[in-house]
Amino acid sequence: MSAGNGAKSVLRRLVNASTVERILISFAALFMAVVVGAVIVLISGRVATCQTAAATFFGLGFCYDPVEVYLVLFNGALGGPFLLDAPGLFNPNWNPLNFGLALTLKETTLLIFTGLSVAVAFRAGLFNIGTQGQLILGALATALFAFFVAPFLPAGILGGLILIPLAILVGALVGGLYGAIPGALKAYADANEVITTIMLNFIAAQVAFVLVSEFFRNPDSQVVETTPLPDWGTLLPVAFPKGGDFSLLALAFGLALVVAVWYLLEQTSFGYDLRTSGEQPEAAEYGGVDAKRTTVTSMFLSGALGGIGGAIWVLMVMGKWQAGVPSLGFDGITVTILAGNNPFGIVPAALLFGTLKSGSLAVQFGTGVPKQLVGVLRGLIILFVAMPEFFRMIGSSINLETDDDAVATDGGRSLLGGDDE
Amino acid sequence: MSTAVHLDEITKRFPGVVANDDVDLTVERGTVHALLGENGAGKTTLMNILYGLYEPTEGTVYVDGEPRDFDSPADAIEAGVGMIHQHFMLVDPMTVAENIVLGNEPRKWFGTTVDRERARQEVIDLSQRYGFDVNPDDTIEDVSVGVQQRVEILKALYRGAEILILDEPTAVLTPQEVEELFEVFEELTAQGKTIIFISHKLGEAMHAADDITVLRDGKNVGTVKADETSNEELAELMVGREVLLEPKSAHREPGKQVLSVENVHADDNRGIEAVSDVSFDIREGEVFGIAGVDGNGQSQLVETITGLREPTSGQITYKGRDITRASRRSRIEDGMAYIPEDRHERGLVMDFDLVQNGILGSQHSSKFSSGGSIDWSTARGHAERIISEYDVRPPHADADAESFSGGNQQKFIVGREFEREPDFVVATHPTRGVDIGAMEFIHERLLDLRQQGKAVLLISSKLDEVQGLSDRLGVMHDGELMDIVDPRNTTEEEIGLLMAGERPGWSDTEIDTANPSVGDAQ
Repeated sequence: MSAGNGAKSVLRRLVNASTVERILISFAALFMAVVVGAVIVLISGRVATCQTAAATFFGLGFCYDPVEVYLVLFNGALGGPFLLDAPGLFNPNWNPLNFGLALTLKETTLLIFTGLSVAVAFRAGLFNIGTQGQLILGALATALFAFFVAPFLPAGILGGLILIPLAILVGALVGGLYGAIPGALKAYADANEVITTIMLNFIAAQVAFVLVSEFFRNPDSQVVETTPLPDWGTLLPVAFPKGGDFSLLALAFGLALVVAVWYLLEQTSFGYDLRTSGEQPEAAEYGGVDAKRTTVTSMFLSGALGGIGGAIWVLMVMGKWQAGVPSLGFDGITVTILAGNNPFGIVPAALLFGTLKSGSLAVQFGTGVPKQLVGVLRGLIILFVAMPEFFRMIGSSINLETDDDAVATDGGRSLLGGDDE
Repeated sequence: MSTAVHLDEITKRFPGVVANDDVDLTVERGTVHALLGENGAGKTTLMNILYGLYEPTEGTVYVDGEPRDFDSPADAIEAGVGMIHQHFMLVDPMTVAENIVLGNEPRKWFGTTVDRERARQEVIDLSQRYGFDVNPDDTIEDVSVGVQQRVEILKALYRGAEILILDEPTAVLTPQEVEELFEVFEELTAQGKTIIFISHKLGEAMHAADDITVLRDGKNVGTVKADETSNEELAELMVGREVLLEPKSAHREPGKQVLSVENVHADDNRGIEAVSDVSFDIREGEVFGIAGVDGNGQSQLVETITGLREPTSGQITYKGRDITRASRRSRIEDGMAYIPEDRHERGLVMDFDLVQNGILGSQHSSKFSSGGSIDWSTARGHAERIISEYDVRPPHADADAESFSGGNQQKFIVGREFEREPDFVVATHPTRGVDIGAMEFIHERLLDLRQQGKAVLLISSKLDEVQGLSDRLGVMHDGELMDIVDPRNTTEEEIGLLMAGERPGWSDTEIDTANPSVGDAQ
């Protein structure tokens, strides 16, 4: 009983934490993840065999130096602004527009879209696991649309200005319609959206694969992919190096969508309906919210944001659709949990993911640490930072009343599992 | 006869609430004892103390004459006290026998394995001993609620319970199952078991119990023998002799019809008919009250009127328009205000602040939004006005609804609904949990609305409230509208009897309500 109450009071503390406290908690979690990760690096460094020890502590030699690993990780994500040989010294040759940073921001940009996608559904009380499938189909629709329409447009900037917005719109539409399917199944057939979206992910991946391999395959390629788009039909890098697969325009678009989603959720009547449905469906019903319509619309919106993520992946990263779409949709789930489902929180959360992705590449190439171990370090950071928010979500969805503060005017039934009717 | 249970001056305080106030209760062995009272009278709290779920703030529990200090239900079961909650605690996919022995399974092979055969045989023996009709091999999800309840009783008996507490055992049963349950009571007491059951239904207590203790506002207001009392006496004990609130405004002639309910039937969430063939109408400038013990179909009836539940048959007309299938939103937009019964579930979004809660139901109205965007500064002004006019404390519009006390939450909801400038107000338990001052204020506002020619439907389990405010009063029992009376020329006792399902001269008047088109409208 007392252990239960202790856990409950911790949860309650977490649920009631202010925004500042939550940010502090996130940083503390990050720090803890680094400490735990460092210990793991040390242990594996002791177990591994190498010719020269990278670090020596307490007279023992270790193959990997945890300090170096983390310095390279964060330094690499920014493209090396610091000289690691002389810690703390600024690298005079550092150019902010570098590949390392481009890689960080590329990942960040894509995860902003998928994070927003999952967040919108979450706020409506729907667990959309299907962002991945919506992204895959949105990406395919964008790639095909751009490929077939491009020949009718003037090559160059003007063509790009017409083609790219339309292609993104098509991606959004297809992703949205694909998202609306589980929404409608939930609203009209009471089918659990977690199950249906997971199944629809498989369907999307396989259908896209078959469509491309059978009908739209690039004849000159060995892999299953569509014919590449002309350069003018893809998002230009703007200031960043060309091979970095990152466009500032896409990031700006992502940030604009963050603001738009925030506005939609917090400032519009529709957003009010959506949030009320997510918070307390009975109250939403009382307030005249059409639950079925809100479910379908929220899932459409969520899917559309996933579809836009796919469109950006095609237009900014690949220049074509290719089988084996990275798991951006799934990472979006973690991103939005990290962000507490707040659109503005998604930006730093996505940035953390981007940093880890880009930084771990730097660690792989810059140190002798095997990539599996780098994966462990990445996972630790995500796990540690996401857990407080995850428990907050759980905490706010369960009844945290203890018998000390249960007001028993209803005969104390709250303890015994709900009231009658 | 010896005393099975004696509760001595039990007081239980929760922050801000005294749930039980100096309650004495004595239950004789081998009898059925009913604990009667309105919702919130403290019946369940008292029994939870006896069952070890709560510790009393003051007072002592005696079982079999010995003082006991139960830390948990396990201690209570050890002492032979078993409780059957309103919500069954059974594992649906498991069989009856498995559920009964769960946690106390007979074992074999040095305690490593459950001896299913013995468990089954023990369950068969046990149910035969008490004449229970249960098949040990049925799975719980396949059997009726009545059987599930019997399984719960067997579970307690299997653990050696001598004293059985049942919390509102009839709430989930059909009338036939209720009869069967009462037969089970007789069988059990014949074999020396003691039964305490909680109820707010007067007739049941009279029918099934030997002794009846009535609780009101946490106090024991009397213990009577069932065969020495009358429905009138019990109704009086339950309701109390509080001063009637006299309407302060002059009675005014009702205008044209606003709402008409015709032959409405509706089911509850379990699909059992909860509203049976109810018809009435409400006119402008009229307060129509519905009295009845909670759980007699009022909730479902209200939900069909406000658009939260679709009637199975019948017709509802509002301002001359058929709204039987109209959406909730269209009813709100058409000037229907609604103070819901359950403020935590429906009336407020607990994680929203009062500014956001203030526009619940009006989020699409042009008062607060234009072009789909909500004007939050108007919404804030609106919330602050409700807070000051309805004295919501503390006056913090930015605080989450959750952080307010129940009474202040209620005041805020009442304020929001009255400020809607409605044509028709549905008020369910509008003063539940609010202090006396706020209660009077809410009553005055209701009468003001009537004075302005609005129609009001008032549902309350407080008889003095509905009787004092209503121009006409319908009494509901078991889903039926027993009668519509003039509250000024009817005594509380008469209403109390109707609430208990007894019509004066029942057999003579029954024909009056017979309707040739029962249940086939639509």
